[in-house]
Amino acid sequence: MAVNRSLLDKVLRGLRPVIILLAVLSITAVVLNWLRLEAELQTYRQEAVDNIHWNVSQLELDLVRFGSEAEILQLKPDESLGELRKRFDLFYSRAQSILKGRMFAKMNLGDVVVPMNARLEYYLEQTTPLVDSPDVDLRAALPQIEADANIMREDLRAMSVKLVKNYAVMADMRRAVVATMVQRAAWAAWVVILALATLSLLVLWLNRQAVHTADQTLRLSSRLAATVETSLDAIIVTDAKGRVLDFNNAAAANFGYTPQEAVGADLATLIIPPTPCGSYFDLMARATLDGSAQEANSGRFQMIGMRKGGEEFPIELAIASHNTSEGVIFIAFLRDISDRVQAEDALVHARDEAMAAEKSKTNFMAVMSHEMRTPLNGVMAALEIASGMAVNDKQLRFLDLAQSSARQLLRHANDVLDISKVEAGKLYLSEEQFDMTALTEDLVAGLQQVAAQKGTEVVVKPLGPLPRLVGDYFRISQIIQNFLTNALKFTENGQITIEIEAQRRNDPLLEVEVRVIDTGIGIAESDQARIFEDFVMLDQSLVRTSGGTGLGLAIARRLAQAMGGEVGVESELGAGSCFWMRLPLAIASTPTPNEAPKLQSLQTVNPMDVLVVEDNATNRIVLEEMLQQLGHRVTMATEGRQGMELARAHPFDVILMDISMPMMDGLTATAMIRAQGLSMGSRILAVTAHSLPADLERFQKAGMDGCLTKPISLGNLAKSLLGDALDAPQPQAQAQVLSPDRIDDLREGLGAAGLARMITRFRADFPAFRARLLAACAPDRLSDLMPICHEGAGVCAMIGAPALQQLYAKGEELCRNGQEAKAAEIIMAQVQPLWDQTEAAILTLDLPS
Amino acid sequence: MSRFLNIAFLLFALGLSTALSTTFAHADTFLPPKGAHILSVTGQITAKNAPTGLVLDLAQMEALPQHRFTTSTIWTEGQTTFQGVLLKDLIAAVGASGKMIEMTALNDYIIELPLSDAKDDGPLLAYLMDGKTMSLRDKGPIWMVFPYDQNPDYRTEETYSRSIWQLLQIDFVE
Repeated sequence: MAVNRSLLDKVLRGLRPVIILLAVLSITAVVLNWLRLEAELQTYRQEAVDNIHWNVSQLELDLVRFGSEAEILQLKPDESLGELRKRFDLFYSRAQSILKGRMFAKMNLGDVVVPMNARLEYYLEQTTPLVDSPDVDLRAALPQIEADANIMREDLRAMSVKLVKNYAVMADMRRAVVATMVQRAAWAAWVVILALATLSLLVLWLNRQAVHTADQTLRLSSRLAATVETSLDAIIVTDAKGRVLDFNNAAAANFGYTPQEAVGADLATLIIPPTPCGSYFDLMARATLDGSAQEANSGRFQMIGMRKGGEEFPIELAIASHNTSEGVIFIAFLRDISDRVQAEDALVHARDEAMAAEKSKTNFMAVMSHEMRTPLNGVMAALEIASGMAVNDKQLRFLDLAQSSARQLLRHANDVLDISKVEAGKLYLSEEQFDMTALTEDLVAGLQQVAAQKGTEVVVKPLGPLPRLVGDYFRISQIIQNFLTNALKFTENGQITIEIEAQRRNDPLLEVEVRVIDTGIGIAESDQARIFEDFVMLDQSLVRTSGGTGLGLAIARRLAQAMGGEVGVESELGAGSCFWMRLPLAIASTPTPNEAPKLQSLQTVNPMDVLVVEDNATNRIVLEEMLQQLGHRVTMATEGRQGMELARAHPFDVILMDISMPMMDGLTATAMIRAQGLSMGSRILAVTAHSLPADLERFQKAGMDGCLTKPISLGNLAKSLLGDALDAPQPQAQAQVLSPDRIDDLREGLGAAGLARMITRFRADFPAFRARLLAACAPDRLSDLMPICHEGAGVCAMIGAPALQQLYAKGEELCRNGQEAKAAEIIMAQVQPLWDQTEAAILTLDLPS
Repeated sequence: MSRFLNIAFLLFALGLSTALSTTFAHADTFLPPKGAHILSVTGQITAKNAPTGLVLDLAQMEALPQHRFTTSTIWTEGQTTFQGVLLKDLIAAVGASGKMIEMTALNDYIIELPLSDAKDDGPLLAYLMDGKTMSLRDKGPIWMVFPYDQNPDYRTEETYSRSIWQLLQIDFVE
């Protein structure tokens, strides 16, 4: 139907010029023909003549009467000649009309008329003198007059017959011409009628189409109106100026205006609260200005609407624009989303509460496990010392039991702390160079004894060459250790194979996979996904025998994820398991170093002067005992100031410094020791339960050489004293005092003189800055600290003093985390020494004065 | 006394005649013609000077309202100036009533036309052609002509057939 119609339309459209041409042609033809006909008729009318037949026959009659009068007069010689003369006069008069008048003019009858006229004139010339002559002469001429009249009559008759005949022919011709024209006019009229009929049909058809279209439009518009009116969303139509054109029932219900009130009103003032000045209106205005109106057609917006009473409520809004013949109109769909917003708010609130609860739980766990480690340290150290003093086997056995229980407890505390750290995002990963194979072999070596007891063989099998890698050695060890201990636990008289494989990735990193494959009891498929969750232990009976918390694999999973990798398991019940770890690791840039020097035996150590600064009596006793066992001379200080004074007074080889102490803390004491006195160059080690990398950095900046993490064991202590502090920060982490690159940049950009001016200014400004900084470190002024640190960091970054910059940045970061006191502590301890170093470095620069 | 009566009678007669003249619709009073009769008017007319009706000589024609126009005719050469009395004026002068006019010529030609066809511009009962009276040979003494050039309506065969010459008698009939 649609195809047919469009085809018809096309045909009609194609025919239109033809129809128009035909119409123009036929109308022209009609008009031209009419004009010709009119002209012809006009001529007809204009050329109207006196009746020719009548005149000719009258002329003949007049002649006959004249002739017969002449004949009668010949018989009656006494009769008056008056009648004869009258007859002639009448003939003469009519003849003159024919001769002088234009009766025959333009009638194309010349070949008859000309000889007739000549004959007539000749006759008149002959006869008139006779008639006009005196009576006597006239009477005498009567016979001749009669004879002449008769001859003339014969001629006149012959000529009149011819004239009438010719006239008839000519009249026929003229009639034919007129008839032809009339016929043409009739044809043209037919064409016009036909065209009119066609046009009428066309008009009729178009009219039917129009009625049909109007019907359809009406149906559609009523359907649309019904749709709009039943819509649950408010639908508002406005013109380009925001004036309401249409306002449906839902809009009325939502906003409280009747459609009558709303139509014609300005939408922005109607439904948008006055203060934020109507984003909706702006939006429409923008769309109008753009002309594209595309913006209006995309997306949904949330905004605040206003009811008639002024009540505000959230609405969701979608705007579409449409180009009509009267310009752009906007169709806005609005929905009251109060309920949804309320629900969302409630949900967000609930989530926030849950997260806060979770966070406080995590924090609590972290604090608890952290706090547990200090007393545990004391317990374990005491047990170690006690077992050295045990006098019989029974005591030794109980002490061993107590020691293993303490170790287990510590492991649990560490596990929980690890999880908490990862959860709280406080896991700091170090970047160390290490050899994966060596790492694995070390771990295996530590477990060989247990493996032997179980009759299980453990083999390390590198698949292909493996370069030295960069990563967190300790955390990676932790994961593999976990896999290994698990495998050992569940494998009796079997084999454990550790496969190590590395594959190139698209980036410079290597994908390193370590698989720990055992021939143990295996894990049911249904349990395989579960075992990486927290506190999952498949065999509850193992809790007691193996002493696990069920956190091992959960920690392994979290650590691997924190390092950008993953862990997983493939296993078959009864056949064994394969735990794998996949990590993206960088390849170490430096070549493999020489074999690390073997640890010297404890007995070969030279006795050293050791100062212990520790406020906790237990720890003091433990440390003193351990150091004495190692053969060192020990001096004790119970707090920071005392320690500092002792250190200044006596050159110690090593100073063990507790960090958290009342009065003067370890960092301050260290800084003061480094500042002056006999122990300025001594080796100072922090003794702390803080073991985060950030802390290590902080200790280092305070001037410490290393860190001894509680709980302290003899082995740890011995290694630390030898200069091999377990958690010693990497020396390369030390920031440069001045950045030569930056200085060169500045020199290039500002010129040597400019750089010199800048540096001079920097040095001149420092005392004032330091005064402000230290003032802000006062306990009641701590709130000022962060902006000053920020300022300092900015200045130092610009001048190229990374060490100072790092100090300030650290201070700023701590302030941001709410640890202003700590920030103040670090800054007070380090700002002067770092400045001194920076200034010294500045003086070595080659600058014009 | 008798003088007084005479005067009174005269006054009465005068008033009567005035009243009569108004009653009989403008018809002029015509005396019997002194010269040769050139036209005779008969039928339903109020003005009469003969038993048959009204006869007029040239002088009486000249005494009626005059009208002239110049035109060509299909019977003559060139432009001709005709002078005479409009039929309309004659009708008024003779107090004619009725609907039709019958006119007869010396040559026995007869035409008829309705009274209503006597218009302000014609026909004209012409007795002068180019200022001269017309002989019989010139279609005189009276030729009823129309202003053919001035009014195209007169250039029709009917009008030509009505242009009667050598007119003798006008008869007003029902």
